[in-house]
Amino acid sequence: MPHQCTECGRTFPDGSKEMLSGCPDCGGNKFQFKPNGVDDENAVAADPTGSTEPPTPTDSTEPRGSTDPKPTRSEPKPTPSEPKPTQSEPKPTAERSASSERVSDIDNEDTAQASARSDVVSPDELDRASQEVPPAADESAEPGSGSDPDSGQRPGIDDLRDELNAQFESIRIVSPGKYELNLMELYDRQEYIISLQEDGRYVIEMPDAWGVNDE
Amino acid sequence: MGLLTNLKDSISRVTDGLFAAEEPKRIGIYGPPNAGKTTLANRIARDWTGDAVGPESHIPHETRRARRKENVEIERNGRTVTIDIVDTPGVTTKVDYKEFLDHDIEKEDAVRRSREATEGVAEAMHWLREDVDGVIYVLDSTTDPFTQVNTMLIGIIESQDLPVLILANKTDLPGTDVKQIANAFPQHETIPLSALEGENMDEVYTKIAEYFG
Ligand SMILES: Nc1nc2c(ncn2[C@@H]2O[C@H](COP(=O)(O)OP(=O)(O)OP(=O)(O)O)[C@@H](O)[C@H]2O)c(=O)[nH]1
Ligand SMILES: [Mg+2]
Repeated sequence: MPHQCTECGRTFPDGSKEMLSGCPDCGGNKFQFKPNGVDDENAVAADPTGSTEPPTPTDSTEPRGSTDPKPTRSEPKPTPSEPKPTQSEPKPTAERSASSERVSDIDNEDTAQASARSDVVSPDELDRASQEVPPAADESAEPGSGSDPDSGQRPGIDDLRDELNAQFESIRIVSPGKYELNLMELYDRQEYIISLQEDGRYVIEMPDAWGVNDE
Repeated sequence: MGLLTNLKDSISRVTDGLFAAEEPKRIGIYGPPNAGKTTLANRIARDWTGDAVGPESHIPHETRRARRKENVEIERNGRTVTIDIVDTPGVTTKVDYKEFLDHDIEKEDAVRRSREATEGVAEAMHWLREDVDGVIYVLDSTTDPFTQVNTMLIGIIESQDLPVLILANKTDLPGTDVKQIANAFPQHETIPLSALEGENMDEVYTKIAEYFG
């Protein structure tokens, strides 16, 4: 259940239509995107430090005082119809645990993306996508082929990411401060993303909330 | 219950209709970063209301939240056209904080700016879908108009049947090439101007009144 009302903490499964007209419980119309990936506990635990709080937009156009998302232990209740992102997470090889932190970051990010779009992609597709990718762990030894401007990245993971991105992503966080935007997808979205966070989360605001935010 | 509710409904529909007709058209100023959108928005707002809309800057992604100036009354040929102008963040497919480092901005600030810029593009795309009645598309006439972003945005605007004016800005600069912009989008009218110098604003206002009035 990746979306949570920032007012009352109520959570919604991905793709839930309920939140489109505001939170049924408290009427709030700001929601935090919470990928229920493997790092959920860690990220929640880190909240009190303030490091994972959504950035407050600098402008005064923010309609409400931005409420900190309430940290919840969001126990992901498995919904039968909803593919769990964890099973679509690419696990290239057994050596993965020994590979760098960066790889797991990347995986988490993709998990977030996959989960954000879990209503449009089947786990099979994701599995297929991950199988087309050569094992990632041995690639760090390869010299950069130079074909990719992001030469620091692993090509296998990159291919997978590209494929995932092409399928369902509106904003790709390449690295902190570096983003790629899929304009078509942003245009097609119902909700609009108000606040990005580096760990693949974002706070979204529903159309209802705007119109009040000017001058 | 049925009759009364129906009656009420149709009354409120009628009044809605009346108000909708009176409401000024909301015109989004779109285009790539640094094209001069805010400079133009400020000029329009200053010319007709006396206020400015937002800060202009040679640093790209200066505008990172859409800003609206309401009830701008433009007079043309004895007629008054009222519009709301929305200055939007420059639309792009890539934002990299490194762009900002060249402008004497510290890394931390640069990362924050690029995140805000990305959020701003998301917002601008959303406005385009939901909330604008017409578009002023601003291009820097000294740069190549054949870009993916321009093609995609103009395509979206066309698919929505929104009236669009294409402005070839910065005609005061040496490398200006208005023709190239006109060639890139032959299906639309291209108007040259310098938002900075205020050149050709008369024609711009005439066209705004014609297209969005
Ligand atoms: N020479 C010249 N410079 C211009 C003109 N219009 C704008 N500029 C300059 O171009 C730079 C960018 O202008 P802005 O109005 O901030 O551009 P913008 O399209 O709002 O940019 P973002 O908000 O970053 O998307 C500034 O340095 C302006 O002074 C023009 O007609 N001629
Ligand atoms: Mg601007």
